[in-house]
Amino acid sequence: MASSPSPRRAVIIGGNRIPFARANGAYVGASNQDMMTAALDGLVARFGLQGERLGAVAAGAVLKHSRDFNLTRESVLGTALDPATPAYDVQMACATGLEAIGSLADKIKLGQIDSAIGGGVDTISDAPIALSDGARAGMLALGRARTLKDRLGAVASLRPRDLAPAAPGTNEPRTGLSMGEHQALTTQRWGITREAQDELAAASHQHLAAAYERGFFDDLVTPYRGLTRDNNLRADSTVEKLAKLKPAFGKNLGEQATMTAGNSTPLTDGASAVLLGSEEFAAQHSLPVLADFVDYELAAVDFVSGEEGLLMAPAYAVPRLLARNGLSLQDFDFYEIHEAFAGTVLSTLKAWEDPEFCSERLGLDAPLGSIDRSKLNVAGSSLAAGHPFAATGGRIVATLAKLLHEKGSGRGLISVCAAGGQGIVAILEAR
Amino acid sequence: MRETLPEVPTLGTLYASAAPRVLRKVTSVAPDALPDTEAYVEAVRCSREQLTAYQRLVGDTVREELPSVLLHGLGFPVALWLMSRKDFPLPLLGLVHLRNEVRQPRVVRPDETLAVSARAVGLTAHHAGTAVTIETRLFSEGELVWEGRSLYLAKGVRLEGVEAPPAPERAAFVPPSTTARWRLDGSTGRRFAAVLGDYNPIHLSALSAKVLGLKAPIAHGMYLAGRALAQCAPHGTGYAWSVDFATPVFLPGTVEVNRTSQPGGVVRFSGWNAKASKPHFAGEVTPL
Repeated sequence: MASSPSPRRAVIIGGNRIPFARANGAYVGASNQDMMTAALDGLVARFGLQGERLGAVAAGAVLKHSRDFNLTRESVLGTALDPATPAYDVQMACATGLEAIGSLADKIKLGQIDSAIGGGVDTISDAPIALSDGARAGMLALGRARTLKDRLGAVASLRPRDLAPAAPGTNEPRTGLSMGEHQALTTQRWGITREAQDELAAASHQHLAAAYERGFFDDLVTPYRGLTRDNNLRADSTVEKLAKLKPAFGKNLGEQATMTAGNSTPLTDGASAVLLGSEEFAAQHSLPVLADFVDYELAAVDFVSGEEGLLMAPAYAVPRLLARNGLSLQDFDFYEIHEAFAGTVLSTLKAWEDPEFCSERLGLDAPLGSIDRSKLNVAGSSLAAGHPFAATGGRIVATLAKLLHEKGSGRGLISVCAAGGQGIVAILEAR
Repeated sequence: MRETLPEVPTLGTLYASAAPRVLRKVTSVAPDALPDTEAYVEAVRCSREQLTAYQRLVGDTVREELPSVLLHGLGFPVALWLMSRKDFPLPLLGLVHLRNEVRQPRVVRPDETLAVSARAVGLTAHHAGTAVTIETRLFSEGELVWEGRSLYLAKGVRLEGVEAPPAPERAAFVPPSTTARWRLDGSTGRRFAAVLGDYNPIHLSALSAKVLGLKAPIAHGMYLAGRALAQCAPHGTGYAWSVDFATPVFLPGTVEVNRTSQPGGVVRFSGWNAKASKPHFAGEVTPL
């Protein structure tokens, strides 16, 4: 039997994002397309891609206007890239950015394309407001009406309460619980303390601030609308200050409520983009190579029945990814675990240490074990930077690729949870 | 004795016809007081509009199956016709919905024409009064496709010659973990009524509920069951389900919901009030 040729490598050349802004602040008035274009513009300028026809650009947004049906293509048309560069939208909740990048890496490995940009964007400040179902039904009926009588009937069917707009929320459609309320259940299930969550949050702010201080983000971030840094960042954040905040989620747990606005990510606006290519593409264009995009894996869990926590899917994806690549959880120099909530990171880590969970839920002979916490989110993560849903994947990939390149050797593991009980994880290797 | 009705009666008319008897004080009822009448309607169909409106209302998917609670709703007016007649011994308005038990051997498609048969099958002594069981059956070309028993309580009515059982000892309610949360607005009862025609005044508005002695309107039990089944019921197969109602859900209100999978595909569900720590309902679904 002929063995299939091993695919070529997909490498990460660089990344760019605009600073992430707390919702309803610096980026009010900027649309998803505006911000995605800004992130792409910065990337194009940094790597001299003006007039270049790339293999594909894939990006997406979680909260999306219906007018943005071609968000990524429209963004590309607003940049200096060759207009002959194809583009498409990806939508997988908070996994959008990493799924876009991972599937582009696959196309490069298979030789279908030589270069690509993957990323994502989200805005809360310019979120789509929808008509209520009642108003929509009436207006659609009006559109279908052919006679005056039908038209009057359609108008008469509208009720004043129908005119109240329906704003998008972060509630899971099937449970009616917000993401924070879901995580509060998981946080309690794993017995994660308030102190542990606040420590992780303080570390995230301190790490991100230190990374900015040493210029780490100088070639990863393009200023936008007066911001040069993520404006959720509080360099002086401490466990003591965080301890003063009142619980924001799981309030029905009373004394046991541990999740606050400080150890949960804020609603944020922002965009990110990552440039990938084959080794040949990088060499031909004299571009740097930061890391290999080695592999990625998706998972999903049954949270609707309450069998598993909403944000626990990455705990299931990682062992599958490790097995496929012949690695153990300890074979990494950096861990980038998206901080949707401090409780999410800590619940995931605790699950991997738990013999019962690893045996019964993951089907493993032995627990995955602990990680060296000094390797976790070393340049800060979402608690400090903020989390514009679809933009987080691109932020993490660019950050980790640069960390690996700085170190000059080793591997990094990425883990991102997403709405709908989904998760995406990936491995990068230094170059 | 079968009484064949020309068509499905209108619930509003039935409630209105029962209204004058609201003031009739019933204190006791004989064990054999139920009339031996089978109410029968030959041909009932669910319109596409009604099916879609129901599926939207309870958060179900628009698909080619008649949900079991909607089938209950199709047969309910025939049962209510029995209960609103002068020879029905218990006062219709004020009956408390205690329990439903349904067996639906197969999927029922939207284009099936159904015959409905309803009978009052028994009176039982209850610690708080007398309970009546109404049995409703739906047939498709002679094949039994849905059968349900509904238990209603007439409070303060003594069943003659039968000693009322003592009130059961209730263990303190321990709420399970929340797997979903329903936020029900003040129009929940009106929206359910608009789809299924059940304009019982206790569900409609603060004023109409107060007239009948309630502090606020309450959600239809079948609305709560419908939402639970929209999440828990299997598709493409028949199933049996039951639900017990403990305390009413006042509108507007928030219901904490738990669902737990059991061996054999059984799903248990329950709803409760977190603030008062009181159970509203509990039930289960078993695929057949």
